[in-house]
Amino acid sequence: MSLWFLLSLAFVQHAYYAVTVVALAAGAVGYFVVLRRQAFAAHAIGHVGFAGAAGAVLLGLSPVLGLLGFCVGAGVLIGLGGATLDDRDAVVGVTLTAALGLGVLFISLYSGYADATYSILFGQILGVTWGDVVLVASVSLVVLVALSFIYRPLLFVSVDPASAVARGLSERALSLAFLSLLALTTVVAIQIVGVLLVFSLLVAPAAAAEQLTNRPRRALLLSMAIALVSSWLGIFLGVWLGGPVSFWITALAATSYLGARLGAFGKRRETAMGVA
Amino acid sequence: MNAVELRDAAVTRGAKLIWRDATIDVAAGSISAILGPNGAGKSTLLHALLGLVPLSEGSLEVLGRAPHRGDARVGYMPQTRRDGDQHLSARDYVGLGFDGTHFGWRRTSTSAKDQAVRDALRVTGASAFASQPLRTLSGGQRQRVALAHAMVFRPELLLLDEPLAALDLAAQAEIVDLINLIRHDTGATIIVVAHDLNPLAPIVDHVVWIARGQVRSGPTDKVVDEGVLSDLYGHPIEIIVTPRGRRVIVGLEEEFAHPHPHPHTGARVHEAAHEHFAEFYREQS
Repeated sequence: MSLWFLLSLAFVQHAYYAVTVVALAAGAVGYFVVLRRQAFAAHAIGHVGFAGAAGAVLLGLSPVLGLLGFCVGAGVLIGLGGATLDDRDAVVGVTLTAALGLGVLFISLYSGYADATYSILFGQILGVTWGDVVLVASVSLVVLVALSFIYRPLLFVSVDPASAVARGLSERALSLAFLSLLALTTVVAIQIVGVLLVFSLLVAPAAAAEQLTNRPRRALLLSMAIALVSSWLGIFLGVWLGGPVSFWITALAATSYLGARLGAFGKRRETAMGVA
Repeated sequence: MNAVELRDAAVTRGAKLIWRDATIDVAAGSISAILGPNGAGKSTLLHALLGLVPLSEGSLEVLGRAPHRGDARVGYMPQTRRDGDQHLSARDYVGLGFDGTHFGWRRTSTSAKDQAVRDALRVTGASAFASQPLRTLSGGQRQRVALAHAMVFRPELLLLDEPLAALDLAAQAEIVDLINLIRHDTGATIIVVAHDLNPLAPIVDHVVWIARGQVRSGPTDKVVDEGVLSDLYGHPIEIIVTPRGRRVIVGLEEEFAHPHPHPHTGARVHEAAHEHFAEFYREQS
């Protein structure tokens, strides 16, 4: 079987469509995750989603429903409990552990085949159906449109909450809105890379982009581009060389971050030596 | 015309009285200093002017209207900011001061924004490092950028919370000159919260002194006065005029709070020691 034949298969095509929209949404939302130092919340929302999916499977529902309910619920809880950027680690931690406990309970109660759980944990990019693609694309589109609408105020309140609030913005409302978008993105990203690796698309590309530019809009677009390229290449390598696609995507995303750090470091050294 | 008119005002937080009987008139175009020990309610007064904290008694007019959050005529530079670890450039941060509150896809006129940002950076002397990420700037540079951010939309009233904190004396003097320059350039009324009158004295017209829940307000000479301060602190305060015409204020050391974390470094400076060595003096010009 030639590589081109494999890449032309319907399930591989679906994977490419799905990953494209998810990477764009995750790269954009991820920029604010990194800017707002909310990696822990992103991590927690993914794991809370796992409990939701396990619960849905237990009840015989689609795991996506459980993911959606639990992720958005966790986003709202974290947003309400830790409205300001300073007091939310504890809220995130408690939400995370409470949900993981529930997840353990649901799995222990579930006597069926554990395949669904496994795919939630590690993603099932090559098992994406056309219906999944449509769902993932609509959610990602909603996220991108909403994020572009609140872009400037969210940036303001993330960088300088005290003066943003004095200038009339609501930190709580923006935090809630952002965490809801983060939750939606997490739900769709879990379809691709799974709960355990959802982080890679949300954090690594944005962290890499932050190293490479000090213009916010450029960093956001760069983050989307890095997420996109990591995902595309990840599927390609998975199909070509074998090995889980999730592995390739996370490895590429991590490599991009490492490369950006090295690049930024080299540039700083150059500047420093140029001045000296 | 007065930019701020506060009448018989009090502020409480929960059951705790912050200050009361405050009557303050701030003339338009003047520079005022809000002084007093840590925890006296200096920042609370700024928050009241911003409409962030309601009065429990009295009345307040800011630029002729009741204060309201988001008043586009009022600029504010908070004491604690999180700009210190950001990747974005000083220019982008100042730009957020111009259109950061705008939702939606409507683009602000780029040329108007660029012009305003360029002007603000020029006035505050921050043009040279405008392209650098905030996290690479020094404390003094960061204060300049923060001032540019607070005044980029040309507010009529500019509220600055401890703009001199954590700066060395040379940097303090630069920021004081800069505050004066902003007044002349924009005609704004400026109110500065400070720990120490010393560095600000050359430019300040009006002093508000808060201690023990009480507020004294007036021209600098009327407030920085043995009788007024002794009454305010409840024990004798002496003001010694040095041969060069500067004033040293003695007796403030009795008014101190608990060890207080430094706003920027987090280091705990004992207030007693701090106040003991603080000499408040004023250039007589």
